[in-house]
Amino acid sequence: MSTELRRPTRQVLEPDLPRFDRRDLEPNARDALAGLLLTMADDEFVIGFWDSEWTGIAPMLEEDVAFSSIAQDEIGHARLFYEMLAQLTGDGADRLAFGREADEYRHAMLVDHARSDWAFSIARRWLYETADAVRLEALKESTFTPLREVVAKVRREERYHLMHIDAWLRGLAEAGEEPRARLVEALSRLAPDAPSVFTPLAGEELLVEAGILAAPMAQLAGRWSSAAAETLAKLRLPAPPVEPPTAEGRDHRPPSDAFAWLWGEFTSVARLEEGVEW
Amino acid sequence: MGRGARTDVFEIFRQEKDGDPMRHAGNVVAPDVELATHYAREMYSRRNESVRLWIVPRGQITDLSDPDLLQPPLDRSFKKPGGYVMRDKLEVAKRRAATEKGTDVD
Repeated sequence: MSTELRRPTRQVLEPDLPRFDRRDLEPNARDALAGLLLTMADDEFVIGFWDSEWTGIAPMLEEDVAFSSIAQDEIGHARLFYEMLAQLTGDGADRLAFGREADEYRHAMLVDHARSDWAFSIARRWLYETADAVRLEALKESTFTPLREVVAKVRREERYHLMHIDAWLRGLAEAGEEPRARLVEALSRLAPDAPSVFTPLAGEELLVEAGILAAPMAQLAGRWSSAAAETLAKLRLPAPPVEPPTAEGRDHRPPSDAFAWLWGEFTSVARLEEGVEW
Repeated sequence: MGRGARTDVFEIFRQEKDGDPMRHAGNVVAPDVELATHYAREMYSRRNESVRLWIVPRGQITDLSDPDLLQPPLDRSFKKPGGYVMRDKLEVAKRRAATEKGTDVD
């Protein structure tokens, strides 16, 4: 391939990610932060790919556009977190996103299931968005400025993602009959995995100490489950579990069949020619 | 939406930048105004092309298309300015204005 063709075609008009010096962070806190960024990026990346599976087959045209667009937003958020992680560790964002083996991803168990039916995708997005909102809130006053700035932008988009998925949860819950029955079934299936978004991180106490993260994951899980329980109770839907997240909530060794398939899909183009810049 | 689900048409108006008039952009189908709002932003401002949207249920619009009211059958040409030839009068007025201005300067 000629060097002309190897030149990246992507043009960044205005970088969303502020430059920073990784030496500003104490090495142990830096490792812990890298762990946090990887989990956030992987969560957004994986749910973004699952939900983009609806493109072309959502229940109505308008929703098809909206759901696909939100899925793309999530992949955009993943890009920001991968880029920040890359700057922090000297790695590459594309390698992090597309160059790892399937068992190296650290997404939450909640987003490890295949797409399934519409009610399942709504239930999962609702559980994920509400949990992600609690996690992002715990970073809005982060002492690590680049993260605080990126989180402020991401939260502005997540606000309408939440409004959108809330409307759908309510719509299915109040529709009765089959839509409600499918929603209840999906929530019951997914609920045990919901706290996995708050799987404890190695060295998270250092992040809390440094003011990078407002509270430990277990505490955030508690915040989320009481807020989620309130909304679900109003709709007479099954409550999420109150048990704290377990340590294995992000361990994919070996990867599930569902994720192994998705990984094969989203890495298929990147694997056509290793190392090429797109 | 599934069988029997109710949907409505919402007409969308958009303002491209502050101070511009609201212009009709198109419409979306949605089960309620809340989702219509989301669909409107996805269709008409996903790429930052609007600063304001109006989401109007089509049923709330008073439609007037009665030709008796809008296209009256009798001659209304006297209500249009087209019958008057202004060119010569304008020329005279401009010349006079120029002369007067010259006088003022002197």
